[in-house]
Formats: sequence, C-alpha cells, structure tokens
Amino acid sequence: MPRISTLTYDRGTLLLHPPPKGKAWVDHAEWDDRVEKFRLPADRYRPLIEALKAAGTRVDDRARAFTDLPLRFAGGHVPHAHQAEALAAWKAAGRRGVVVLPTGAGKTLVAQLALEATPRSALIVVPTLDLLHQWYAGLRTAFPGTAVGLLGGGSRDLAAPLLVATYVSAAAEAETLGNRYALLIFDEVHHLPAGYTRVIAEYSIAPYRLGLTATPERSDGRDRDLEGLVGPTVYSRAPEELAGGALAPFELVRMPVALSDEERRRYEECVARRNRFLQERKIFLGSLEGWRRFVRASASSPAGRAAMLAHREAKLLAFGTQEKFRVLEELLARHPGRRTLIFTDDTATVYRVAEEFLIPAITHQTPVKERHETLGYFRDGTYPVIVSSRVLNEGVDVPEASVAIVMSGTGARREHIQRLGRILRPVAGKRAVLYEIIAEGTSEEGVSKRRGRR
Amino acid sequence: MLTTDLLITRRRNGGIVPHRLALDVDALELATELIGLFREAVGCRRAELDEMLTAFEGEDIAFKIKRGLAHILENDFCEFETVSPMEPGELRRRVFALGAVGAPSRGRRETLLGKAAAGLAREAGRLVTPEEVADGLFADLPANQVLTAFDAPEPTALLHRYNLAQAQGVFYRAHELTITAHRNTPARYKELFRYVKLFGLMTLIEGDAEHGFTLRVDGPASLFTPSTRYGLAMAKLLPALLHVTKWSLRAGLKPRKREGEEAGDESGRSGRVREDAARKEAWPDTFQMDAKCGLVSHYKAGKEFDSILEEAFVQRWEKLETEWRLEREVDLVPVPGSAIIPDFRVAHPDGRSVLVEIVGFWRPEYLRKKFALLRKSGRKDLVLAVSERLNLDAAGVDLGEWRDEVVWFKGKLDPKAVLERVETVAARLGNGAG
Repeated sequence: MPRISTLTYDRGTLLLHPPPKGKAWVDHAEWDDRVEKFRLPADRYRPLIEALKAAGTRVDDRARAFTDLPLRFAGGHVPHAHQAEALAAWKAAGRRGVVVLPTGAGKTLVAQLALEATPRSALIVVPTLDLLHQWYAGLRTAFPGTAVGLLGGGSRDLAAPLLVATYVSAAAEAETLGNRYALLIFDEVHHLPAGYTRVIAEYSIAPYRLGLTATPERSDGRDRDLEGLVGPTVYSRAPEELAGGALAPFELVRMPVALSDEERRRYEECVARRNRFLQERKIFLGSLEGWRRFVRASASSPAGRAAMLAHREAKLLAFGTQEKFRVLEELLARHPGRRTLIFTDDTATVYRVAEEFLIPAITHQTPVKERHETLGYFRDGTYPVIVSSRVLNEGVDVPEASVAIVMSGTGARREHIQRLGRILRPVAGKRAVLYEIIAEGTSEEGVSKRRGRR
Repeated sequence: MLTTDLLITRRRNGGIVPHRLALDVDALELATELIGLFREAVGCRRAELDEMLTAFEGEDIAFKIKRGLAHILENDFCEFETVSPMEPGELRRRVFALGAVGAPSRGRRETLLGKAAAGLAREAGRLVTPEEVADGLFADLPANQVLTAFDAPEPTALLHRYNLAQAQGVFYRAHELTITAHRNTPARYKELFRYVKLFGLMTLIEGDAEHGFTLRVDGPASLFTPSTRYGLAMAKLLPALLHVTKWSLRAGLKPRKREGEEAGDESGRSGRVREDAARKEAWPDTFQMDAKCGLVSHYKAGKEFDSILEEAFVQRWEKLETEWRLEREVDLVPVPGSAIIPDFRVAHPDGRSVLVEIVGFWRPEYLRKKFALLRKSGRKDLVLAVSERLNLDAAGVDLGEWRDEVVWFKGKLDPKAVLERVETVAARLGNGAG
C-alpha cells in the first residue's frame, strides 16, 4: 500500500513527499535534486491545499503549526463606516488584500477587527520601534487578558500566538516564524516588497494576509509585488473622502540663540574649511547627489576627509550649544506643571537633556516595555515632561501635550506639520504653544525658515 | 566578521578581489598600536573607547582599514558590561519620579541625585555616591557599557582575522556558491559537511574522483529564486573550508549599487574605477578563490583521524603483505541531500579500487538509513566494516543485498578480513565490467 503523501515545512519552503496521487499539486511544486523530493515556496500553501481539496486528494498536513486564538474585544469601539466597509471588503476577498486609508483614519482598528474576525494565531509586522510600542499598547487595551508577544527592540517572544514584530526582526526570523501564524498583518505594507523584508511573506504559509497603508506606491515600482505577497487592494479611500480632523490651533514661537564667541569662531572655521573644499570640487550639498559625491570624496582624498570632519563638527556645534540648554531651562520654568514634550533630532542630545535635567527619555534605544511605561506615566501626569528623539514619525500616536519644545529640526516639512497637529492640545483657557530653539547664523536657521514659509 | 560599510573590494578581470593587508612592518605596527589602545581602554566606557578610536583614525584616508581592525577587536576580543548600583531601568524609575516634582532645572540635579543615592544606600547597607547614581542612570546604553575585559590577540592573528573577514564579506551578496573538491582525507570532508549542516545550508554533489566533485551550496528557497539570504551562512562556512585542502570555489554575486562600490574603493582613483564599473556593468560579478589563498582560519581544526579505531587499523594494515594500498584520500559517494564519506580507499597497482567505511558505533536507525542511502547511490564498490556491538537481526536491520559487502568485527578490526571482502568486491566488479 502506498504511503500517504506528507506536507512538511522546511525553513521557508514546503516539502511534499511522497508525491500525492492526481495532478492537482503538479503546478505548484518543483523537483529538488538536492533531496530528491518535491518542494514548494511556503506561500503556495493555501492554493495547494485548496487545489488538493477540490480534487479530493488526501495529504497529511504536518506543515501547519498555527493555532486557534479566540480574542475577546474589550468593546466600546464602534467602527466608522469606512472601517466596517474595509473589513467587509477584506473578508469578501477571502481574507487576503491591502486596505489603503489615509493617515489618522484608524487603520489600527481595522486590523483589530480583522484579528477578532479571524481567531487564529497572528503576526503583526511594523516598520519602526515606535509603532511596535504603539501596537503593543493598542492590543493590550483592545484584547485584555491576551498575552501580546514582541519581537524586536530587545524583546524576543518567539512563541507568542499574538506577536508584534519589526520588519527587520521578522525578516531575520522568517524561516522560524513561517508556519506558526495563520494571519499576517503588515502595517505600512509598502515597506514589505524590499529585498530583505519580502521573505516575511514569501517564507510564510499564512493563508490570511492583511496589508495596511496610506501610500502603497514605491519609487522602485515594487508595489506591484504586493498583490502576490499580500493580495490585491481590496479597499481604498483618499483623505478628502473622509471627514478630516482639524489641527489644533497653536502658537509658534521661535527662540533664536547665539553661539558663544568661542563656539561661533570654531563653527565658522569649520564651515569655511568645508565650503572651500566643496567649491574646489564644484559639489553642491543641496541635493542628494551632491551629498553622495561629498561622501565619496571624503573616502578617497585627505582633503575630502578633513572637509567631512569639519562638516560634522560644525553640525555638532550647531546642535548642542550650551545656550540652547539655558533657553530650555527658561522655557521649562515658564510653564510649570504643563504637559511638555521636548524633541531633538539626535539621540546624544536627548541623553544630555535627560542626564542634566533628570527628565525621562525615549529614543530608539529605549526598551519597548519601558517606553510603554514612560508614555503611560506621561499620560497620567506622573511625568509632566519627557524628552525624545523622532518619536513622532508617521502614524505614531503620542499622548497629548500642551507645550512642545523642539531643540533642533530637520527640513522635512510634512513631518513638522504632522508633529504639531498631533501633539498639541490646548488646556483650559490656554493656547497650545510650540517653541523652536534654533542656533542663530547656522544652517539650522535656514531649515526653520524654509518650514515657516507656506 | 565586518559590517558592509567596512568592506573594501576592487575588480580585476571581471572578478571581485577583497582587500588584504600584507603582513609587513607597517601593518604589524598598526595592529600593535591598535591592540595597545584597546589595552589602555579597559575600564573605560564604550563611548570613550570610540573617542580614542576616532582620534586614532585622525584624518587618515585609510580610516576604513583602522575601523575594520577596531571592529574585529571590539566584537571578538572584548567584553562589555553594564555597571550600575542597581538595574538601570529601576534606577531611572526612581530618579525620574523624584525629578517629576516641580519644574526641571539643572540646579536641582545635585540635590536629586543625593536624595536618590541616600535612599539606595539605606537599602543596600553600603555607601552609594551621587556620582554612582549619575553614571548608572543610563549604564545599559551600549555607549555607556564598560569594557571590562580585553583578550588581546597577537598582531599577526588580528591581521589574519581582518583579511579573512574582508573575504567573508564578499559572500554577503552571494546567491550561489560552487565548491570544487578533489580526492581528500575523510576527516576534512566530514568537517566541511558538518559546517554546511550547522549553518543551515544545503548541497548538491556531482562529479567523480577523477575530475573532482562539485558541491553546489545554497539554501532551501534557492530552488525558486536566487537569493542572497544564505550569503551570511556561506561567509561563516569559509573558515571551515580553509581547513580543507585541494578545493577551489566560485561564488555568483548580486551586482552592487554603483555609489557603494566607489565609496568602498580605497585606491583613490575613483574616476578610473567609475569608468571600469560602467564598462563592466553588464557582467555578472563573481568571486573565485582556492585552497592556496593564504587566508588563515580561526576555527578549531578537526582531528585527522575520526577515532582510535581507524588509526589502529591503519597501523595493522601496514604490516599486511599485500599489493593493495590503504589510502586516506577517498572518493565522495554522492547521495540525495548529502554524501557518504568513506574512511579509506583501497587501491591496487592495476588501477582497481574499493572504498571502505568503518561503522564502529551505530544505532539501528542510523544503519537502516545508511543502507537506504547506499542503495540510492547505486555504488557497489564499497565495503562496510560493522561492529558486532548489537545483533543486527535483533535490531531489526535487514542486510538484504549487502551481505557480501559487510565485515563483522568485535573489538579489533582484522585487516585480513577486510582484505578478503575487498578482493571479493573487486573481483565481482571486474566480472561485471567484463
């Protein structure tokens, strides 16, 4: 009597051995000379099983290691029409596909509804540690009593049936995670098609997949791959189709500070040294290409190397001047007790503020669980002030504050506006206020002016 | 190993050549200086070590080489620890709770740290200074961890490690690897296959002893699309391969972006390099090397003999009066997914040869699998010497068609008994041919 064909999972692929009867499986499998068995890409799991079922062919499925995961929603969330529609469209498409909703339209709730509607072990993949934290907090609240595992940011709960992971960590563990989850949810799914991360989808047997994004397009055209990796776009809404939340009105105050004479002299020296080199080589730093040429030149000539070192020193001087700290101190004294967020662009300045003022800090180096706790304490008022770098990137939900102090900023205008709109809420009788502390007569001033223009 | 940004390569004749430091006076001096710097840095925080290293790099355009050497010292020879009066996360919770009362200012810093130190001192029953609290607050950040031990290598060992790491780095973007191996001692083969398995790689072995065996090395998903996913594992395989003699390899590489290549070129003649890159853009990148590459492995070398049993057998064979020579250099017997690596090759001056494998310790499952693999290989020129430690029939192993090829032994393996089977097998092969 012939043995029953067995399907097993092998590090991101499937082995089908001995070959089953019939021809339903033939299109999916390839002969592997190395082991003399038929092998399939892991993401063919669902079409294979469906084809075998339709043909009435029996196979012993030892590949699937995903489990049931009944979730109970805490309730209180009534989905908006567009959220309910998105979920219905995804379910109608066989629980595979991409949902496109603008930033702030509640993509997270769509994902939570999908989790509740699909009671199987699930992996949620997010691009940043900030989002890792946010999803963790959101799931803990939405499904109390369910353990939420984390992968990335110093955590490694590989066995959790509900797991939140960063793209980078999930890609590193793709061979291990591949058969443990029935539902994959990709937040900011436009990150997935990149060369290194696409294996999260390719090495997985998960029959159910949901992608979320506000902007599915990629400049490299790989967004076309999303259909194969996750599924087709099943629902899409543009910002103007949804009622937009108005930005909170706030007051913007620029606080120019001067470098000390010594710092000023050194700063100018460094800038001059760099500029001489750039002029000689006819390099213009305004463009990405110019910057690349500068980096290349710095690796191939002593003059270029010296110019790059001068450039770095000038930047450090502009970012970390003593005077900025004095102004910061003054501003903190001006608003005692107000919920205040301090931002800087570089991690080193965050820790300098934290150490000198003894203020809790959040950076990409902060363990996710500690970040969760710190933001919780900020929300409930235990910590009135926190200092952070880049926490407010796209899509990240931060507790409300009525004062923000930006120690240094980048020129990205969109990010700037989003920051302001998201954090600041007026308190009774008082307008929200945003301070921007910038060094006078440095390149930072240009950045801030550029942003101020409409 | 090195991070991608520290790799230096150039192109020659369409192939990639990784950077290599000659073991000359200049390089040894550089290595010695750097090792001295790390010695001095024991007890410092990582940030301080980094500052020392930045100063050491200076404005030298060869900073990448210095950085590469330092990277190896920092990752493979240093131990860093978190030094704090209590778990830093808990310490932060306490200090920030104290700081949360009233408007933050730098003037209160000393008072708050003093308060926190006094509290800790009461609990620990020992003196805790405010400075200890300040230093411990973020002691878990990588930059603040303290270099507690440095296991200084010899300068030559450091240079060998660096040269090896530059070669390993080439494999990061390898999507295929073909190793050509020639007749060799079984221990060397066995070690290579052990590492292939250890790093999760797969092999397809083809060829014969005359022309050499080709081992195509890749991973499970390589069957569907070429992928650099297994490049890191291939890089880790290289030091193991260096213990093997008589091989050459060829790796297919994913083309690299132009900017990266120029930034990675240390020659200082980027104009010419750019031209070359443009001209050769259509060429797929390859990397070739062989056993005579001169790189030095830091993996421990395997033993030449697998067991005392085999060593003793060799000595007894030498006393035997026969034309059949016992050779340590064997042929591989390719089987699906792997290869059988016999222990000996017994060769006659007239050109006939038979392979011998000694199975001293075995479990029934192992032996069953071995016979199944032999059957698949279709080879009939193999003699198996199996220990009578277990009764085969009782263990449920059916010798079947292999009765002629098996020699039983208890304790010592008698060379005469093996020779007898070798002659039987050789005679049958001769008849088959005639």
